[in-house]
Amino acid sequence: MVNLKLLSPEIFLSVLALILMLADLWVPRKHGKLLFHLGIAFSAAGLLSLGMAYSDPANYQGMGTSWVVDPMGLFFKVIVLITTLLSLLLSLDYAGEASARTAPTRHLGTFAGLVLLCSVGMMLLVSSVDLLLVFLSLELVSITSFILSGFERTNLKSSEGAMKYFLIGAFSSAVMVFGISLYYGATGTTSLIGVRDQSGTLVGLASLMILVGFGFKASVAPFHLWVPDAYEGAPTPVTTYLSIAPKVAALAAMLRVFLQLMPGDIDMPRLFACLAALTMTVGNFTALFQTNVKRLLAYSSIAQAGYILIAFVSPGGLGKEAVLMYALAYVFMNVGAFTVAIMIGNEDSYELEAYDGLASRSFGVSLLMAFFLLSLAGIPPTAGFIAKFYVFAAAIEAKYYWLAIVGVLNSVVSVYYYLRIAYHMFFMPARKREPLSAGFYLYSGLAVAAFCVVFIGLYPDPFIASAKISSATLTEAARSVKTALSPVSVPARGG
Amino acid sequence: MTLYHYLAVSAALFCIGIFGALTRRNVIGILMGIELMFNAANINLAAFNRFLHPNAVVGQSVSLFIITVAAAEVVVGLALVLAIYRNIQTIYAEDYNLLKG
Repeated sequence: MVNLKLLSPEIFLSVLALILMLADLWVPRKHGKLLFHLGIAFSAAGLLSLGMAYSDPANYQGMGTSWVVDPMGLFFKVIVLITTLLSLLLSLDYAGEASARTAPTRHLGTFAGLVLLCSVGMMLLVSSVDLLLVFLSLELVSITSFILSGFERTNLKSSEGAMKYFLIGAFSSAVMVFGISLYYGATGTTSLIGVRDQSGTLVGLASLMILVGFGFKASVAPFHLWVPDAYEGAPTPVTTYLSIAPKVAALAAMLRVFLQLMPGDIDMPRLFACLAALTMTVGNFTALFQTNVKRLLAYSSIAQAGYILIAFVSPGGLGKEAVLMYALAYVFMNVGAFTVAIMIGNEDSYELEAYDGLASRSFGVSLLMAFFLLSLAGIPPTAGFIAKFYVFAAAIEAKYYWLAIVGVLNSVVSVYYYLRIAYHMFFMPARKREPLSAGFYLYSGLAVAAFCVVFIGLYPDPFIASAKISSATLTEAARSVKTALSPVSVPARGG
Repeated sequence: MTLYHYLAVSAALFCIGIFGALTRRNVIGILMGIELMFNAANINLAAFNRFLHPNAVVGQSVSLFIITVAAAEVVVGLALVLAIYRNIQTIYAEDYNLLKG
Protein backbone atom coordinates (compact mmCIF):
# COMPACT_ATOMS: atom_id res chain seq x y z
CA MET A 1 0.00 0.00 0.00
CA VAL A 2 3.07 2.23 0.24
CA ASN A 3 3.16 3.74 -3.21
CA LEU A 4 -0.43 3.37 -4.27
CA LYS A 5 -0.52 7.12 -4.79
CA LEU A 6 1.47 6.58 -7.96
CA LEU A 7 -1.64 5.07 -9.47
CA SER A 8 -3.85 7.99 -8.44
CA PRO A 9 -4.51 9.18 -12.04
CA GLU A 10 -5.94 5.75 -12.92
CA ILE A 11 -8.03 5.54 -9.76
CA PHE A 12 -9.28 9.09 -10.22
CA LEU A 13 -10.24 8.50 -13.84
CA SER A 14 -12.03 5.21 -13.22
CA VAL A 15 -14.12 6.76 -10.44
CA LEU A 16 -15.00 9.67 -12.70
CA ALA A 17 -15.89 7.30 -15.54
CA LEU A 18 -18.34 5.48 -13.28
CA ILE A 19 -19.80 8.82 -12.15
CA LEU A 20 -20.31 9.78 -15.79
CA MET A 21 -22.14 6.53 -16.49
CA LEU A 22 -24.40 7.04 -13.49
CA ALA A 23 -25.01 10.69 -14.34
CA ASP A 24 -26.25 9.48 -17.70
CA LEU A 25 -29.38 8.20 -15.95
CA TRP A 26 -30.37 11.63 -14.65
CA VAL A 27 -29.18 14.10 -17.24
CA PRO A 28 -31.96 14.73 -19.76
CA ARG A 29 -31.27 13.68 -23.34
CA LYS A 30 -31.05 17.15 -24.80
CA HIS A 31 -28.28 18.05 -22.39
CA GLY A 32 -26.37 14.84 -23.13
CA LYS A 33 -23.46 16.73 -24.69
CA LEU A 34 -22.80 18.22 -21.28
CA LEU A 35 -21.45 14.84 -20.23
CA PHE A 36 -18.99 14.91 -23.12
CA HIS A 37 -17.71 18.23 -21.85
CA LEU A 38 -17.36 16.71 -18.42
CA GLY A 39 -15.45 13.77 -19.89
CA ILE A 40 -13.13 16.16 -21.70
CA ALA A 41 -12.59 18.09 -18.49
CA PHE A 42 -11.81 14.88 -16.61
CA SER A 43 -9.31 13.64 -19.13
CA ALA A 44 -7.72 17.10 -19.23
CA ALA A 45 -7.39 16.97 -15.46
CA GLY A 46 -5.81 13.53 -15.69
CA LEU A 47 -3.48 14.78 -18.38
CA LEU A 48 -2.50 17.75 -16.27
CA SER A 49 -1.68 15.62 -13.24
CA LEU A 50 0.32 13.19 -15.38
CA GLY A 51 2.06 16.05 -17.14
CA MET A 52 3.15 17.39 -13.79
CA ALA A 53 4.36 13.95 -12.78
CA TYR A 54 6.14 13.60 -16.10
CA SER A 55 8.03 16.82 -15.64
CA ASP A 56 9.46 15.38 -12.46
CA PRO A 57 10.36 11.82 -13.40
CA ALA A 58 13.00 11.42 -10.73
CA ASN A 59 10.50 11.61 -7.90
CA TYR A 60 7.43 10.17 -9.51
CA GLN A 61 8.34 6.58 -10.10
CA GLY A 62 8.01 3.37 -8.24
CA MET A 63 7.12 -0.25 -8.43
CA GLY A 64 4.37 -2.45 -7.12
CA THR A 65 4.56 -6.17 -7.53
CA SER A 66 2.49 -6.13 -10.68
CA TRP A 67 2.93 -2.63 -12.03
CA VAL A 68 5.65 -0.10 -12.42
CA VAL A 69 5.46 3.65 -12.89
CA ASP A 70 8.49 4.86 -14.78
CA PRO A 71 9.27 7.47 -17.46
CA MET A 72 8.28 5.14 -20.30
CA GLY A 73 4.95 4.34 -18.70
CA LEU A 74 4.25 8.00 -18.02
CA PHE A 75 5.07 8.93 -21.59
CA PHE A 76 2.55 6.44 -22.96
CA LYS A 77 -0.06 7.42 -20.40
CA VAL A 78 0.25 11.00 -21.58
CA ILE A 79 -0.15 9.84 -25.18
CA VAL A 80 -3.23 7.80 -24.32
CA LEU A 81 -4.85 10.70 -22.53
CA ILE A 82 -4.09 13.14 -25.35
CA THR A 83 -5.85 10.74 -27.72
CA THR A 84 -8.79 10.42 -25.35
CA LEU A 85 -9.11 14.16 -25.08
CA LEU A 86 -8.99 14.73 -28.82
CA SER A 87 -11.39 11.88 -29.62
CA LEU A 88 -13.96 13.15 -27.14
CA LEU A 89 -13.56 16.60 -28.66
CA LEU A 90 -14.30 15.17 -32.10
CA SER A 91 -17.32 13.26 -30.77
CA LEU A 92 -19.00 16.54 -29.90
CA ASP A 93 -19.40 17.48 -33.54
CA TYR A 94 -19.83 14.02 -35.01
CA ALA A 95 -23.11 13.55 -36.82
CA GLY A 96 -22.75 10.41 -38.93
CA GLU A 97 -23.07 10.17 -42.69
CA ALA A 98 -25.43 12.61 -44.33
CA SER A 99 -27.59 9.79 -45.70
CA ALA A 100 -28.13 8.07 -42.36
CA ARG A 101 -27.32 10.45 -39.47
CA THR A 102 -26.40 7.55 -37.26
CA ALA A 103 -24.56 9.44 -34.53
CA PRO A 104 -25.69 8.25 -31.11
CA THR A 105 -28.00 10.73 -29.41
CA ARG A 106 -28.71 8.73 -26.28
CA HIS A 107 -26.47 7.45 -23.49
CA LEU A 108 -23.74 9.96 -24.26
CA GLY A 109 -22.56 9.76 -20.66
CA THR A 110 -22.05 6.04 -21.06
CA PHE A 111 -20.09 6.73 -24.21
CA ALA A 112 -17.78 9.21 -22.50
CA GLY A 113 -17.48 6.94 -19.44
CA LEU A 114 -16.53 3.96 -21.61
CA VAL A 115 -13.89 5.98 -23.39
CA LEU A 116 -12.41 6.99 -20.05
CA LEU A 117 -12.52 3.41 -18.74
CA CYS A 118 -10.82 2.20 -21.90
CA SER A 119 -8.10 4.78 -21.30
CA VAL A 120 -7.69 3.60 -17.74
CA GLY A 121 -7.21 0.08 -19.10
CA MET A 122 -4.49 1.30 -21.42
CA MET A 123 -2.79 3.31 -18.70
CA LEU A 124 -2.61 0.17 -16.58
CA LEU A 125 -1.53 -1.89 -19.57
CA VAL A 126 1.50 0.27 -20.34
CA SER A 127 2.69 0.04 -16.76
CA SER A 128 2.06 -3.61 -15.99
CA VAL A 129 4.87 -6.07 -15.40
CA ASP A 130 2.73 -9.01 -14.37
CA LEU A 131 0.95 -11.17 -16.90
CA LEU A 132 -2.20 -11.23 -14.79
CA LEU A 133 -2.41 -7.44 -14.86
CA VAL A 134 -1.52 -7.45 -18.55
CA PHE A 135 -4.44 -9.78 -19.21
CA LEU A 136 -6.90 -7.88 -17.03
CA SER A 137 -6.08 -4.49 -18.46
CA LEU A 138 -6.05 -5.83 -22.00
CA GLU A 139 -9.53 -7.21 -21.36
CA LEU A 140 -10.69 -3.90 -19.91
CA VAL A 141 -9.53 -2.23 -23.10
CA SER A 142 -11.06 -4.92 -25.32
CA ILE A 143 -14.46 -5.12 -23.69
CA THR A 144 -14.97 -1.37 -23.61
CA SER A 145 -13.85 -1.01 -27.20
CA PHE A 146 -16.24 -3.77 -28.33
CA ILE A 147 -19.09 -1.76 -26.84
CA LEU A 148 -17.79 1.53 -28.23
CA SER A 149 -17.41 0.24 -31.77
CA GLY A 150 -20.96 -1.13 -31.68
CA PHE A 151 -22.35 2.00 -30.11
CA GLU A 152 -24.58 2.95 -33.05
CA ARG A 153 -27.10 0.27 -32.25
CA THR A 154 -29.45 0.98 -35.12
CA ASN A 155 -26.63 1.04 -37.64
CA LEU A 156 -26.13 -2.51 -38.84
CA LYS A 157 -22.60 -1.79 -40.04
CA SER A 158 -21.63 -0.73 -36.55
CA SER A 159 -23.03 -3.86 -34.90
CA GLU A 160 -21.51 -6.10 -37.53
CA GLY A 161 -18.08 -4.52 -37.19
CA ALA A 162 -18.29 -4.84 -33.42
CA MET A 163 -19.35 -8.48 -33.71
CA LYS A 164 -16.37 -9.38 -35.87
CA TYR A 165 -14.11 -7.40 -33.56
CA PHE A 166 -15.58 -9.25 -30.60
CA LEU A 167 -15.24 -12.76 -32.03
CA ILE A 168 -11.63 -12.33 -33.09
CA GLY A 169 -10.83 -10.45 -29.89
CA ALA A 170 -12.28 -13.09 -27.59
CA PHE A 171 -10.53 -15.84 -29.54
CA SER A 172 -7.15 -14.18 -29.30
CA SER A 173 -7.51 -13.40 -25.62
CA ALA A 174 -8.39 -17.04 -24.99
CA VAL A 175 -5.16 -18.02 -26.74
CA MET A 176 -3.29 -15.46 -24.68
CA VAL A 177 -4.72 -16.81 -21.44
CA PHE A 178 -3.65 -20.30 -22.37
CA GLY A 179 -0.18 -18.90 -22.96
CA ILE A 180 -0.20 -17.26 -19.55
CA SER A 181 -1.19 -20.57 -17.95
CA LEU A 182 1.75 -22.27 -19.65
CA TYR A 183 4.07 -19.50 -18.48
CA TYR A 184 2.81 -20.03 -14.97
CA GLY A 185 3.42 -23.75 -15.25
CA ALA A 186 6.99 -23.23 -16.39
CA THR A 187 7.98 -20.55 -13.90
CA GLY A 188 5.57 -20.77 -10.97
CA THR A 189 4.64 -17.12 -11.15
CA THR A 190 2.86 -14.72 -13.47
CA SER A 191 5.29 -11.92 -12.74
CA LEU A 192 7.75 -11.00 -15.44
CA ILE A 193 10.35 -9.65 -13.06
CA GLY A 194 12.94 -11.77 -11.41
CA VAL A 195 12.37 -14.87 -13.49
CA ARG A 196 15.75 -16.12 -14.58
CA ASP A 197 15.17 -19.46 -16.19
CA GLN A 198 13.36 -18.78 -19.42
CA SER A 199 14.66 -21.61 -21.53
CA GLY A 200 12.56 -24.55 -22.53
CA THR A 201 9.81 -25.11 -25.01
CA LEU A 202 7.04 -24.29 -22.55
CA VAL A 203 8.15 -20.66 -22.13
CA GLY A 204 8.70 -20.38 -25.87
CA LEU A 205 5.20 -21.62 -26.62
CA ALA A 206 3.80 -19.36 -23.91
CA SER A 207 5.48 -16.27 -25.36
CA LEU A 208 4.13 -17.03 -28.82
CA MET A 209 0.61 -17.35 -27.44
CA ILE A 210 0.96 -14.13 -25.43
CA LEU A 211 2.20 -12.45 -28.59
CA VAL A 212 -1.09 -13.44 -30.27
CA GLY A 213 -3.06 -11.45 -27.69
CA PHE A 214 -0.89 -8.39 -28.17
CA GLY A 215 -0.81 -8.79 -31.92
CA PHE A 216 -4.58 -8.70 -32.04
CA LYS A 217 -4.79 -5.41 -30.13
CA ALA A 218 -1.95 -3.84 -32.06
CA SER A 219 -3.36 -5.16 -35.38
CA VAL A 220 -0.20 -7.00 -36.36
CA ALA A 221 -0.58 -8.82 -39.66
CA PRO A 222 -1.91 -12.32 -39.18
CA PHE A 223 -4.35 -10.98 -36.56
CA HIS A 224 -5.47 -7.83 -38.36
CA LEU A 225 -8.60 -9.20 -40.03
CA TRP A 226 -11.01 -7.39 -37.75
CA VAL A 227 -9.44 -3.97 -38.27
CA PRO A 228 -11.04 -2.72 -41.50
CA ASP A 229 -14.54 -3.95 -40.58
CA ALA A 230 -14.52 -2.68 -37.03
CA TYR A 231 -13.03 0.66 -38.08
CA GLU A 232 -15.48 1.19 -40.90
CA GLY A 233 -18.50 0.30 -38.81
CA ALA A 234 -17.60 2.17 -35.64
CA PRO A 235 -18.61 5.80 -35.11
CA THR A 236 -15.74 7.81 -36.60
CA PRO A 237 -14.50 9.40 -33.34
CA VAL A 238 -14.31 5.88 -31.93
CA THR A 239 -12.38 4.81 -35.03
CA THR A 240 -9.97 7.66 -34.39
CA TYR A 241 -9.58 6.52 -30.83
CA LEU A 242 -9.23 2.82 -31.60
CA SER A 243 -6.78 3.38 -34.42
CA ILE A 244 -4.40 5.18 -32.08
CA ALA A 245 -4.69 4.54 -28.37
CA PRO A 246 -5.09 0.73 -28.04
CA LYS A 247 -2.56 0.19 -30.78
CA VAL A 248 0.08 2.38 -29.23
CA ALA A 249 -0.66 1.06 -25.74
CA ALA A 250 -0.49 -2.56 -26.87
CA LEU A 251 2.81 -1.93 -28.64
CA ALA A 252 4.17 -0.22 -25.55
CA ALA A 253 3.12 -3.11 -23.34
CA MET A 254 4.61 -5.53 -25.84
CA LEU A 255 7.87 -3.63 -25.66
CA ARG A 256 7.86 -3.85 -21.90
CA VAL A 257 6.84 -7.49 -21.73
CA PHE A 258 9.35 -8.67 -24.30
CA LEU A 259 12.15 -6.72 -22.66
CA GLN A 260 11.61 -9.11 -19.76
CA LEU A 261 10.33 -12.21 -21.42
CA MET A 262 13.10 -13.62 -23.55
CA PRO A 263 12.47 -17.26 -24.30
CA GLY A 264 15.70 -19.09 -24.88
CA ASP A 265 14.49 -21.09 -27.86
CA ILE A 266 13.08 -18.30 -30.02
CA ASP A 267 14.93 -15.48 -31.70
CA MET A 268 12.42 -12.76 -30.81
CA PRO A 269 14.01 -9.90 -32.84
CA ARG A 270 13.89 -12.02 -35.97
CA LEU A 271 10.25 -12.91 -35.29
CA PHE A 272 9.42 -9.23 -34.81
CA ALA A 273 11.24 -8.37 -38.02
CA CYS A 274 9.17 -10.90 -39.98
CA LEU A 275 5.93 -9.71 -38.39
CA ALA A 276 6.83 -6.08 -39.12
CA ALA A 277 7.58 -6.79 -42.77
CA LEU A 278 4.37 -8.80 -43.15
CA THR A 279 2.23 -6.17 -41.40
CA MET A 280 3.55 -3.27 -43.44
CA THR A 281 3.21 -5.09 -46.70
CA VAL A 282 -0.30 -6.41 -46.06
CA GLY A 283 -1.50 -3.02 -44.80
CA ASN A 284 -0.06 -0.99 -47.64
CA PHE A 285 -0.92 -3.28 -50.50
CA THR A 286 -4.53 -3.73 -49.39
CA ALA A 287 -4.93 0.01 -48.82
CA LEU A 288 -4.15 0.54 -52.51
CA PHE A 289 -7.55 -0.81 -53.52
CA GLN A 290 -9.81 0.97 -51.04
CA THR A 291 -12.40 3.50 -52.07
CA ASN A 292 -13.80 4.23 -48.61
CA VAL A 293 -11.60 6.66 -46.73
CA LYS A 294 -12.32 5.13 -43.32
CA ARG A 295 -11.28 1.74 -44.64
CA LEU A 296 -8.23 3.21 -46.34
CA LEU A 297 -7.14 4.82 -43.09
CA ALA A 298 -7.79 1.50 -41.33
CA TYR A 299 -5.37 -0.31 -43.62
CA SER A 300 -2.94 2.58 -43.34
CA SER A 301 -3.06 2.21 -39.56
CA ILE A 302 -2.18 -1.49 -39.94
CA ALA A 303 0.82 -0.42 -42.00
CA GLN A 304 1.77 2.15 -39.37
CA ALA A 305 1.73 -0.57 -36.72
CA GLY A 306 4.15 -2.46 -38.95
CA TYR A 307 6.51 0.51 -39.05
CA ILE A 308 6.45 0.78 -35.27
CA LEU A 309 7.14 -2.93 -35.03
CA ILE A 310 10.36 -2.44 -37.01
CA ALA A 311 11.82 -0.70 -33.99
CA PHE A 312 11.34 -3.84 -31.92
CA VAL A 313 14.38 -5.46 -33.52
CA SER A 314 16.69 -3.39 -31.33
CA PRO A 315 14.90 -3.08 -28.02
CA GLY A 316 18.10 -2.42 -26.15
CA GLY A 317 19.34 0.46 -28.25
CA LEU A 318 17.59 2.97 -30.44
CA GLY A 319 14.45 0.84 -30.65
CA LYS A 320 12.69 2.12 -27.57
CA GLU A 321 13.26 5.74 -28.48
CA ALA A 322 12.02 5.06 -31.97
CA VAL A 323 8.80 3.50 -30.66
CA LEU A 324 8.18 6.50 -28.42
CA MET A 325 8.91 8.99 -31.17
CA TYR A 326 6.72 7.19 -33.68
CA ALA A 327 3.85 6.90 -31.24
CA LEU A 328 3.98 10.62 -30.54
CA ALA A 329 3.98 11.60 -34.20
CA TYR A 330 1.37 9.00 -35.10
CA VAL A 331 -1.18 10.35 -32.61
CA PHE A 332 -1.31 13.80 -34.16
CA MET A 333 -1.14 12.87 -37.81
CA ASN A 334 -3.85 10.25 -37.49
CA VAL A 335 -6.12 12.50 -35.43
CA GLY A 336 -5.69 15.19 -38.08
CA ALA A 337 -6.57 12.89 -40.97
CA PHE A 338 -9.62 11.51 -39.16
CA THR A 339 -10.80 15.02 -38.21
CA VAL A 340 -10.98 15.98 -41.86
CA ALA A 341 -12.69 12.65 -42.59
CA ILE A 342 -15.34 13.48 -39.98
CA MET A 343 -15.85 16.93 -41.49
CA ILE A 344 -16.44 15.47 -44.93
CA GLY A 345 -18.44 12.56 -43.53
CA ASN A 346 -20.80 14.85 -41.63
CA GLU A 347 -21.48 16.76 -44.80
CA ASP A 348 -21.53 13.94 -47.34
CA SER A 349 -20.04 10.46 -46.86
CA TYR A 350 -16.81 8.57 -46.29
CA GLU A 351 -16.37 7.56 -49.91
CA LEU A 352 -13.44 8.95 -51.89
CA GLU A 353 -15.77 10.83 -54.27
CA ALA A 354 -16.88 13.04 -51.40
CA TYR A 355 -13.40 14.61 -51.48
CA ASP A 356 -13.72 15.73 -55.09
CA GLY A 357 -12.67 19.33 -55.53
CA LEU A 358 -12.38 20.07 -51.85
CA ALA A 359 -9.51 22.45 -52.61
CA SER A 360 -11.74 24.79 -54.58
CA ARG A 361 -14.23 24.88 -51.71
CA SER A 362 -12.02 25.00 -48.62
CA PHE A 363 -8.41 25.36 -49.56
CA GLY A 364 -7.12 25.49 -45.99
CA VAL A 365 -8.71 22.23 -44.90
CA SER A 366 -7.57 20.35 -47.98
CA LEU A 367 -4.06 21.71 -47.59
CA LEU A 368 -3.97 20.47 -44.00
CA MET A 369 -5.37 17.08 -45.03
CA ALA A 370 -2.67 16.78 -47.69
CA PHE A 371 -0.15 17.68 -45.04
CA PHE A 372 -1.39 14.96 -42.66
CA LEU A 373 -1.34 12.42 -45.48
CA LEU A 374 2.21 13.38 -46.42
CA SER A 375 3.13 13.00 -42.77
CA LEU A 376 1.59 9.52 -42.66
CA ALA A 377 3.59 8.69 -45.77
CA GLY A 378 6.73 9.97 -44.05
CA ILE A 379 7.75 12.86 -46.27
CA PRO A 380 9.85 15.70 -44.82
CA PRO A 381 9.39 18.23 -43.22
CA THR A 382 6.64 16.55 -41.22
CA ALA A 383 6.49 14.69 -37.94
CA GLY A 384 6.02 11.42 -39.82
CA PHE A 385 9.42 11.81 -41.48
CA ILE A 386 11.25 12.21 -38.18
CA ALA A 387 9.45 9.17 -36.79
CA LYS A 388 10.18 6.98 -39.80
CA PHE A 389 13.77 8.11 -39.85
CA TYR A 390 14.16 6.98 -36.25
CA VAL A 391 12.53 3.62 -36.89
CA PHE A 392 14.71 2.83 -39.89
CA ALA A 393 17.77 3.95 -37.97
CA ALA A 394 16.85 1.45 -35.25
CA ALA A 395 16.62 -1.33 -37.86
CA ILE A 396 20.00 -0.40 -39.30
CA GLU A 397 21.54 -0.23 -35.85
CA ALA A 398 20.41 -3.80 -35.22
CA LYS A 399 21.87 -4.80 -38.62
CA TYR A 400 18.49 -5.64 -40.10
CA TYR A 401 19.28 -3.96 -43.41
CA TRP A 402 16.68 -5.95 -45.34
CA LEU A 403 13.99 -4.76 -42.96
CA ALA A 404 14.94 -1.10 -43.46
CA ILE A 405 14.82 -1.62 -47.22
CA VAL A 406 11.39 -3.28 -47.02
CA GLY A 407 10.22 -0.38 -44.86
CA VAL A 408 11.42 2.26 -47.31
CA LEU A 409 9.86 0.42 -50.24
CA ASN A 410 6.60 0.21 -48.32
CA SER A 411 6.67 3.94 -47.66
CA VAL A 412 7.03 4.51 -51.39
CA VAL A 413 3.99 2.33 -52.05
CA SER A 414 2.01 4.13 -49.39
CA VAL A 415 2.60 7.50 -51.06
CA TYR A 416 0.39 6.32 -53.91
CA TYR A 417 -2.76 5.77 -51.92
CA TYR A 418 -2.27 8.73 -49.61
CA LEU A 419 -1.81 11.02 -52.57
CA ARG A 420 -4.87 9.54 -54.24
CA ILE A 421 -6.97 11.36 -51.64
CA ALA A 422 -4.97 14.52 -52.36
CA TYR A 423 -5.59 13.99 -56.08
CA HIS A 424 -9.33 13.86 -55.45
CA MET A 425 -9.14 17.00 -53.37
CA PHE A 426 -7.05 19.10 -55.73
CA PHE A 427 -7.64 17.87 -59.26
CA MET A 428 -11.20 16.60 -59.48
CA PRO A 429 -14.10 18.93 -60.29
CA ALA A 430 -16.12 19.91 -57.24
CA ARG A 431 -19.68 18.69 -56.89
CA LYS A 432 -20.71 21.56 -54.66
CA ARG A 433 -19.74 25.20 -54.57
CA GLU A 434 -20.25 26.39 -51.00
CA PRO A 435 -17.29 26.07 -48.62
CA LEU A 436 -17.09 23.19 -46.19
CA SER A 437 -18.83 23.97 -42.92
CA ALA A 438 -17.82 22.26 -39.73
CA GLY A 439 -18.29 22.84 -36.04
CA PHE A 440 -15.98 24.64 -33.68
CA TYR A 441 -14.73 21.47 -32.00
CA LEU A 442 -13.69 19.88 -35.27
CA TYR A 443 -11.72 22.98 -36.19
CA SER A 444 -10.04 23.07 -32.80
CA GLY A 445 -9.08 19.38 -33.09
CA LEU A 446 -7.71 20.11 -36.54
CA ALA A 447 -5.75 23.09 -35.27
CA VAL A 448 -4.15 21.13 -32.44
CA ALA A 449 -3.21 18.24 -34.72
CA ALA A 450 -1.82 20.52 -37.41
CA PHE A 451 0.20 22.57 -34.96
CA CYS A 452 1.76 19.48 -33.41
CA VAL A 453 2.57 17.78 -36.72
CA VAL A 454 4.28 20.93 -37.99
CA PHE A 455 6.02 21.62 -34.74
CA ILE A 456 7.38 18.10 -34.33
CA GLY A 457 8.41 18.09 -37.97
CA LEU A 458 10.26 21.40 -37.90
CA TYR A 459 11.68 21.43 -34.41
CA PRO A 460 11.90 17.85 -33.12
CA ASP A 461 14.74 18.42 -30.63
CA PRO A 462 12.65 18.74 -27.44
CA PHE A 463 10.59 15.70 -28.39
CA ILE A 464 13.65 13.63 -29.21
CA ALA A 465 15.14 14.67 -25.89
CA SER A 466 12.02 13.67 -24.00
CA ALA A 467 11.83 10.37 -25.89
CA LYS A 468 15.41 9.73 -24.86
CA ILE A 469 14.63 10.40 -21.21
CA SER A 470 11.43 8.39 -21.36
CA SER A 471 13.03 5.33 -22.82
CA ALA A 472 14.36 4.51 -19.37
CA THR A 473 12.38 1.76 -17.74
CA LEU A 474 12.46 0.96 -14.09
CA THR A 475 12.51 -2.80 -14.60
CA GLU A 476 15.83 -2.65 -16.38
CA ALA A 477 17.21 -0.41 -13.70
CA ALA A 478 16.01 -2.91 -11.11
CA ARG A 479 17.64 -5.73 -13.03
CA SER A 480 21.00 -4.00 -13.12
CA VAL A 481 20.70 -3.28 -9.40
CA LYS A 482 19.86 -6.88 -8.79
CA THR A 483 22.95 -8.12 -10.56
CA ALA A 484 25.07 -5.58 -8.70
CA LEU A 485 23.94 -6.18 -5.16
CA SER A 486 21.59 -9.04 -4.60
CA PRO A 487 19.40 -9.58 -2.75
CA VAL A 488 17.53 -6.33 -3.36
CA SER A 489 14.49 -5.62 -1.28
CA VAL A 490 11.35 -5.92 -3.35
CA PRO A 491 9.13 -2.86 -2.89
CA ALA A 492 5.94 -3.38 -0.95
CA ARG A 493 2.94 -4.77 -2.74
CA GLY A 494 1.01 -1.95 -4.31
CA GLY A 495 -2.45 -3.11 -5.16
CA MET B 1 -4.10 -38.93 -11.37
CA THR B 2 -0.91 -37.17 -12.34
CA LEU B 3 -0.26 -33.75 -13.81
CA TYR B 4 -0.18 -35.27 -17.27
CA HIS B 5 -3.78 -36.42 -17.07
CA TYR B 6 -4.92 -32.89 -16.34
CA LEU B 7 -2.72 -31.42 -19.04
CA ALA B 8 -4.06 -33.92 -21.57
CA VAL B 9 -7.63 -32.95 -20.70
CA SER B 10 -6.86 -29.25 -20.95
CA ALA B 11 -5.00 -29.62 -24.24
CA ALA B 12 -7.89 -31.62 -25.67
CA LEU B 13 -10.36 -29.02 -24.46
CA PHE B 14 -8.29 -26.23 -25.98
CA CYS B 15 -8.14 -27.97 -29.34
CA ILE B 16 -11.86 -28.73 -29.30
CA GLY B 17 -12.46 -25.07 -28.47
CA ILE B 18 -10.30 -23.85 -31.36
CA PHE B 19 -11.95 -26.30 -33.71
CA GLY B 20 -15.41 -25.18 -32.60
CA ALA B 21 -14.59 -21.49 -32.82
CA LEU B 22 -13.17 -21.84 -36.32
CA THR B 23 -15.77 -24.14 -37.85
CA ARG B 24 -19.11 -23.15 -36.28
CA ARG B 25 -21.41 -21.02 -38.39
CA ASN B 26 -23.59 -20.10 -35.48
CA VAL B 27 -22.30 -17.19 -33.39
CA ILE B 28 -23.46 -18.83 -30.16
CA GLY B 29 -21.49 -21.93 -31.15
CA ILE B 30 -18.37 -19.84 -31.74
CA LEU B 31 -18.84 -18.29 -28.30
CA MET B 32 -19.07 -21.72 -26.73
CA GLY B 33 -15.85 -22.74 -28.43
CA ILE B 34 -14.10 -19.67 -27.04
CA GLU B 35 -15.42 -20.47 -23.55
CA LEU B 36 -13.90 -23.96 -23.82
CA MET B 37 -10.55 -22.38 -24.60
CA PHE B 38 -10.77 -20.16 -21.52
CA ASN B 39 -11.65 -23.14 -19.37
CA ALA B 40 -8.74 -25.14 -20.73
CA ALA B 41 -6.49 -22.40 -19.40
CA ASN B 42 -8.25 -22.59 -16.05
CA ILE B 43 -7.66 -26.34 -15.76
CA ASN B 44 -4.03 -25.76 -16.65
CA LEU B 45 -3.61 -23.12 -13.97
CA ALA B 46 -5.27 -25.16 -11.24
CA ALA B 47 -3.32 -28.31 -12.13
CA PHE B 48 0.04 -26.54 -12.31
CA ASN B 49 -0.76 -24.94 -8.98
CA ARG B 50 -1.58 -28.28 -7.36
CA PHE B 51 1.28 -30.34 -8.75
CA LEU B 52 4.19 -28.04 -9.53
CA HIS B 53 3.89 -24.95 -7.35
CA PRO B 54 1.85 -25.92 -4.30
CA ASN B 55 3.32 -23.26 -1.98
CA ALA B 56 1.18 -20.33 -3.08
CA VAL B 57 -2.26 -20.16 -4.63
CA VAL B 58 -1.24 -17.92 -7.54
CA GLY B 59 -2.63 -20.25 -10.18
CA GLN B 60 -5.99 -20.69 -8.54
CA SER B 61 -6.48 -16.98 -7.98
CA VAL B 62 -5.52 -16.23 -11.59
CA SER B 63 -8.13 -18.71 -12.75
CA LEU B 64 -10.76 -16.95 -10.62
CA PHE B 65 -9.92 -13.71 -12.44
CA ILE B 66 -10.18 -15.48 -15.77
CA ILE B 67 -13.60 -16.92 -14.96
CA THR B 68 -14.88 -13.45 -14.10
CA VAL B 69 -13.43 -11.77 -17.15
CA ALA B 70 -14.71 -14.50 -19.46
CA ALA B 71 -18.21 -14.01 -18.07
CA ALA B 72 -18.01 -10.24 -18.63
CA GLU B 73 -16.80 -10.79 -22.16
CA VAL B 74 -19.64 -13.17 -22.99
CA VAL B 75 -22.17 -10.64 -21.71
CA VAL B 76 -20.94 -8.09 -24.22
CA GLY B 77 -20.90 -10.70 -26.96
CA LEU B 78 -24.47 -11.80 -26.33
CA ALA B 79 -25.62 -8.17 -26.21
CA LEU B 80 -24.06 -7.66 -29.64
CA VAL B 81 -25.73 -10.81 -30.93
CA LEU B 82 -29.08 -9.49 -29.71
CA ALA B 83 -28.48 -6.07 -31.28
CA ILE B 84 -27.84 -7.70 -34.65
CA TYR B 85 -30.65 -10.22 -34.27
CA ARG B 86 -33.17 -7.41 -33.77
CA ASN B 87 -32.10 -5.94 -37.08
CA ILE B 88 -31.69 -8.91 -39.39
CA GLN B 89 -33.12 -11.96 -37.52
CA THR B 90 -30.13 -14.24 -37.94
CA ILE B 91 -27.29 -15.49 -35.79
CA TYR B 92 -25.31 -17.17 -38.57
CA ALA B 93 -21.92 -15.58 -39.01
CA GLU B 94 -21.93 -15.80 -42.81
CA ASP B 95 -24.97 -13.52 -42.98
CA TYR B 96 -22.98 -10.69 -41.45
CA ASN B 97 -21.59 -9.57 -44.75
CA LEU B 98 -22.32 -5.87 -45.05
CA LEU B 99 -18.67 -4.86 -44.65
CA LYS B 100 -16.31 -6.08 -47.34
CA GLY B 101 -13.18 -5.25 -49.29
